[in-house]
Parts: sequence; structure tokens; C-alpha cells
Amino acid sequence: MAQPKNQNLIVERWDYRLTFAKEGRARYISHLDLMRTMQRAIKRAKVPIWYTQGFNPHAYLMFPLALPLGTDSEIETLDIALTEDWEFDRLVEQLNGSMPEGLYFISAARPVRSHKDIAAARYDIELSFNRPAGEMLGLFESFVSGETIEIEKRVKPKKGRKPGVKLVDIKPLMTLNSYELRGEKLYIDITLPAGVESNINTGVVIDAFCAFAKAEFETIYTKRTKILCKDGENFT
Amino acid sequence: MEELKRKIEPLLLKTQKPARYIGGELGSVIKDKSKVDVRFAFCFPDVYDVGMSHLGMKILYGLKNARENWWCERVFMPEKDFEKQMRDNDIPLYALESLDPIKDFDFIGFTLQYELSYTNVLEMLDLAGLPVLSKDRTDLTPIVIGGGPCVCNPEPVADFFDLFVLGEGEELNIELLELYERMKPHNPTKQEFLREAAKIEGVYVPSFYDVDYNDDGTVKSITPNCDTAPAKIRKRVIKDFDKVYYPDSFVVPFTSIVHDRAVVEVLRGCIRGCRFCQAGFIYRPFREKGIDTIEKQTKALCEQTGYEQVSLSSLSTSDYTEIEKLLATLADYTDKENVNLSLPSLRIDSFSEELLERIASVRKSGLTFAPEAGTQRLRDVINKNITEEEIMHTCRMAFAAGYGTVKLYFMLGLPDETDEDVLGIPELAHKIVDLYYETPRELRAATIQVSLSTATFVPKPFTPFEFEPQATPEEIDLKQKLIIDNIRSKKVKFSYHQQPVSKLEAVLARGDRRVCKAVYEAWKKGCTLDSWDEHFRPELWDEAFAECGIDRSFYANRRREYDEVMPWSHLDYLVSREFFIRENKKAHQALTTRNCCEGCSGCGISKEYGGLYCKGV
Repeated sequence: MAQPKNQNLIVERWDYRLTFAKEGRARYISHLDLMRTMQRAIKRAKVPIWYTQGFNPHAYLMFPLALPLGTDSEIETLDIALTEDWEFDRLVEQLNGSMPEGLYFISAARPVRSHKDIAAARYDIELSFNRPAGEMLGLFESFVSGETIEIEKRVKPKKGRKPGVKLVDIKPLMTLNSYELRGEKLYIDITLPAGVESNINTGVVIDAFCAFAKAEFETIYTKRTKILCKDGENFT
Repeated sequence: MEELKRKIEPLLLKTQKPARYIGGELGSVIKDKSKVDVRFAFCFPDVYDVGMSHLGMKILYGLKNARENWWCERVFMPEKDFEKQMRDNDIPLYALESLDPIKDFDFIGFTLQYELSYTNVLEMLDLAGLPVLSKDRTDLTPIVIGGGPCVCNPEPVADFFDLFVLGEGEELNIELLELYERMKPHNPTKQEFLREAAKIEGVYVPSFYDVDYNDDGTVKSITPNCDTAPAKIRKRVIKDFDKVYYPDSFVVPFTSIVHDRAVVEVLRGCIRGCRFCQAGFIYRPFREKGIDTIEKQTKALCEQTGYEQVSLSSLSTSDYTEIEKLLATLADYTDKENVNLSLPSLRIDSFSEELLERIASVRKSGLTFAPEAGTQRLRDVINKNITEEEIMHTCRMAFAAGYGTVKLYFMLGLPDETDEDVLGIPELAHKIVDLYYETPRELRAATIQVSLSTATFVPKPFTPFEFEPQATPEEIDLKQKLIIDNIRSKKVKFSYHQQPVSKLEAVLARGDRRVCKAVYEAWKKGCTLDSWDEHFRPELWDEAFAECGIDRSFYANRRREYDEVMPWSHLDYLVSREFFIRENKKAHQALTTRNCCEGCSGCGISKEYGGLYCKGV
């Protein structure tokens, strides 16, 4: 008779919410790969990670919100559980000893909010184009002052149907905090829906603008600056 | 670095799995360029996902980087999407650690693991901005070298390389780079360096040999044209395998790769002597590491990488002399650390059920057998010592334990194969299905699936079958149809290998230098990533061979005489020609040869090479 492999049931666990940064070369780690990367880093660090109790025990890790590929951040969160009660600073220090380039932990705390509270995220975007920046600023102004901003969104197919796309007006969903020209670059500070209910990637907004302006960006640098709850509070 | 990085980064967001092209993985070695004397680009001529799984690269990467003033970096073949981006944006092929263009390196080393990667070598040299032909690269550096199993007959790619390294690389790489480091301050010409390099045992400089041909197209002679080049180049062997360098650190990729786990090599060589298997002969003699060494290396790698799975690597792990003790020792550690111990290519009939339970993952995966041939007679021809009883015995045990999938691997087109042998393949599958239904319902899995898979036999150099013709695609077609027509159960699934690929492999495996031209032309026409079904372009290869006037059947489908000068006759892989002839004759009489453990059969390897069972002098 097969039995669960993890026979040493450890029920007691201490939960932690870690804040980490992802930048530089690590920016190109996809969300799925990030899970694996973190699992291995935690294992290397010899932190007493809590394993799920089942037939296929695995280290418990949970990302409350995915970070799009190519985006930097210093405010990402990862929830883990330990089998021992560790000091926050000790945990951060121990983990940072085994992280790859561009990934590091900033702080640890007990989780307070549920990941379901997450409603929005704020981003800084820095763009340069194959056209003069001044011209692009003007185009961006008319892009955002239009009545609607429509993007194509893939819709989940109904059973037996092919996946389709529908046009969604994202204008009411986004909050443009500011935008300006700095040298030859266009800076955008924008808040977009994020979390379990609805998610809009910065990429679709930029793609929509490029299509509108009939231009292509040459460089793009995106950084997530805030993860916000429904009540407007910071998630961490 | 920064300049290239700026160019690469915006392209990454338009690329599939961009983490493959930017480096920065844990365990990758970064050095201060100003303190480095020798830079080595280790190229795997296939995409990152495949190349990063290769153990040889991990070993030689660690080995070279252990020297403070040498820097070895990794380079892979880009997928077509990123390759186009590189060409459109003038990005030369770069190494993943420094992001520096590899054309400025001292060495560019390719590992040749399979014939279908040859065009990728040309593509990578071209992407680097280098001429693909050795004779057109007149500067001392980069020195383009090749190693790996295909180097036992490197003639079809001889024109593209400056030198080849034969056999095991752990000592040879060090000797070659030390020589270069000594000579570099004196600014030698490329010719001067190659002359010295040729003196190192195991170094083969193809341009130092002239090949003459007979009127019938076969090779007449291969003779050195340089006084430092030996008439026969002998492969290198690590005599004390327990003490050989093994890395205590791996580069841990972000993105998933084919074999994404820690790997520990437990033994080298194979005792079995299956007559079709090149690895079984070119990696001889059989040598093992001690249990302590394996345990130490397992722990070190698991701790450094953080992998949750470790795999024991070898040609046949169950031939390890103290396998039970080894597995029990390792399981003590892996259980404690929640690491999964995986054992590819294991014969499970030889284990106690208790041990099986300890090491088997709780998730029931399938059973895999490689009978290779459908009847006992043909299995005797190829000296594959697995019997139907063994397969049935293992299946019986496994079905009673709830296993529900069985995979069976076969080859088609083996020497002396008859219709009866082919029919034996579906027959075996049906017997296994019947066995499942004989298993009590309360024990067996809910359903059964038997998957048959056939590949076309490719005769390889340095095997007893190096003399054999390959079956033609038409013959293979008939054999496949015969199997399809005789599968009577819906529980049996059949899949088979693409035809033109196998013939191409056969030509590239046993070709001579004249084939270089066809490889070049095929690449010029756009053939790359030939091992990928979606990229393989048989019609372009057809054109290339036709334009070069090369008859592929001459290389693939012709029986070669025992006294024929083979294109690889100047290379010595220690196993003697006489042994291969003897084995070939026995094969045609369907006589088996005992394995090395049962007694030495005199393959020609002297015991001085450290083989556990070797008796020869």
C-alpha cells in the first residue's frame, strides 16, 4: 500500500511574507521559472522550509502577484512557511547568501493582507522611440485623451469553441499619474488593475500606444513601484 | 559587455524564453578579464535547453575555470527567432558569462554529440563572424577545436576544425591550454601552434593528414604530412577514474531544460558490448568511482545547486559493482533532504523490493525497456542480453504494484533482420497486454498502455557493425508497415522515426572528408537545427548531396570489407579492429559474447588503462 512519502508530519508552521527585488539580468526570468529559482535558492540557503504534507511533498512557496517578464521591481512579495520561528533579519540574511545575480530579499514580515486584496499596481515606464521624443509626447497626449483606449484581449473559450479576442476599453481601468519628457525619453507613471480579478500588463498599453502612433520603441525600461489593495493601501 | 548588452536587451522581450540568451545564472563563473590569459568559448551546437543538460560541458567548464587565469564560458545555438534578431541587429555570437563576442576568444571548442548538430557548428562560426573553413582562418586565434563521441570519425567535419581532441577531456584540455599559455607570449603562427599541439597524445590536426582514394571511391590511405603528427592518434583515457576532476558546482538555469537536476557520474565505460552501440565501445574500459566519492559529490552538488532531484549518470548504472550499497547510502541522504534520487537505465529485476520502494518516487511513472529487437535470435545477433522472460518477469512485478504504462524501444534494419524478427515486436507487445489482464483486478492499474517505438539502425564507426550496410528507407518503410498491420490491440501504440534523418545520420557517421562539401552546401542552403523535426529540411540536403556529386548510398548502404581502410582508420579508440571483425562474424552466426564482468573477451584494451575487468596487456 502506497503511503505519503513525507511521514514526519510537521503541522506547526510559521508564515512569512518576504519582499524582494528582481532587476538586471534577472528581469528576464519568467514567472514560472522564478518559482523554480526561488525553490532552489531556499534549499541552498538551508532555511527550514515547510513542506506540503502529501504524497508529493514540495517546499511551500506562494507569489501573491506575478511580475511580468522584463519588468524590474523592488517591491515583489513571496510567501513562505518555516518549521521554526526565525527572526526576520536572520531569514533575509540567510536567503541572500544564496541568490543569483539580480534577485535579493529586502525584508520579511508576517503576512497581513490576503493576496485577494490586491487590486492594482503602479509602474514607471521609460521609453525611447525610433522617432523624435517631442513628437511622441504629443502623440501620447492624444492617445490618452481619446474617448476610449481599446485593446484586444484574449477571452477564454467556451467549451468546444475556439479562443477568441474581444476589444476592451481600458481607459476607465487605468490611472495615468503623470507623464513627461526627460531628454530623449518619454516617462510614464501609470496604475493598472492587478490581482485575481483583473490584470492589465503594461505591455498591452505600450503596444496599443505604438499601434496608435504607428511607431516602434527602441528601448523600454519598466519598473513596478507599488502593489495596491482595493482600499488604496500598500499591500505590504 | 555593456555595449552588446544594450543591443540584446530590447530584443529579449520579443524572444521566446529570453532567459536563455542573457546568462547570469547561479553558478556561472564571472572573472576579471584583465587577469585572464586564456579565454575559452565552450560551444554546444544546439539550443540552450539541450546543451545545458550536457554533463561533459559542466565537467570541462568547472575544470578550466578552476585555473585562475583561464576563463571558460558557455555558448549555445540560438533558436531561429533569436538568430534572426541577432543577424538583423548585427549582434555577433557571444558568450553567456561576459556577453563578449566569441571571435575574440583564444579557443572556440565544440562538443560533437550527434551528427545532426554539424550544420549548427557552421552556423555558430558564421554568427560569430568567422570563416567556417579552417583554411580561411589564418590568424592564431580563435583556435577552433572539437571533441565528444562524434570525433571518433570527424572526417565529415574535418575541414571546419583546426584540431580535434580524442577521448576523455579532463587531462587533455589542461595540456592543450597549458601549451597555448606557454606559446602565446611568443606570438606563434597558427601552424606553429598546431605543430606543437599535434605532439600531445589524443590531439588530431586534420590538415596534417593527406587522404588518398581508390578508384572505387574507398579510402586508400591516410598519411601524415607533418613530422610532429603521429601515424595513429590514440584517444585519451582517465586511468584513475575515482580521482578524476568532478565539479562541485553547476550552472543552475532559470528556465527549464531537458535534464534539470543534479547529476553525478558513477561509472564510465560499459561492460555489455551490445554490437550496435557505439558508446559501449568508444568509452571503454569500464571504470567506477568509489561510494565515498559519489556520496561526497552528490552532497556537494545538491547543496550548491538547490536541486530537488539528483540523478546517477552512466551507460548502465545497475552494472555498478556495489549498486545496492550505493543506493542505500545515497537514499539515507536524499530522504533526509527531500531530494529525489532518480536512476535512469536501471534493471529493476536485480533489486530487493524494499530498496525499490525506498528509491522509487511515489508518483508511479512508467516502465521502459529497450529490447532493441523482436526475437531472441536477433537479440543474440546484436548481443543485447535481455530476455523475454526478464521483461515479462519485471512487467508481472510492476503490474501487481499498479504500474500501467510500458514503453518498449526497438531498432529496425538490424543486420540479418527477417520478417519474423519484425513481427516479434507487436507480438511482444500483445504478450505484455495479456499479462496485464492476467494480473488480479484489485492490484493492477485501471488501464494499460504499451508504447512501441522504433528507430532506424544507424551503423557506427568503432562497433562490430561498422562494416554493415544500413537498410534503405524503402526497406524500413515495409518493416514499419508490417508492424502497423500486425498490431491487434487498441492498448498498443506505435511511433517511429523519420526516414531521411536516419540515412543522413548514417552518411555523416561513416563518411569521409569528401562529405564536408555536402555539409557546407547544405548549411549554405539554410539547413540548421537538423535534429529538430520542425526545422529539418531533407530536400535541401538532397540538393546539397546532388550538387556535390556524392552518392549517399555509398556511405550508408554499402557493405564494407573487413580489410577496407575506413575513413577513421588513423584513429585509435583502443578496441582492436580484429575484435570488431571477430564480433561481426559471431553476430552473423547469432552467437553472443559474454560481458566484461563475466570474463574478458579480449577487445584489445590493455589493463594499464584502469579497466576494472581488463586482463589484456
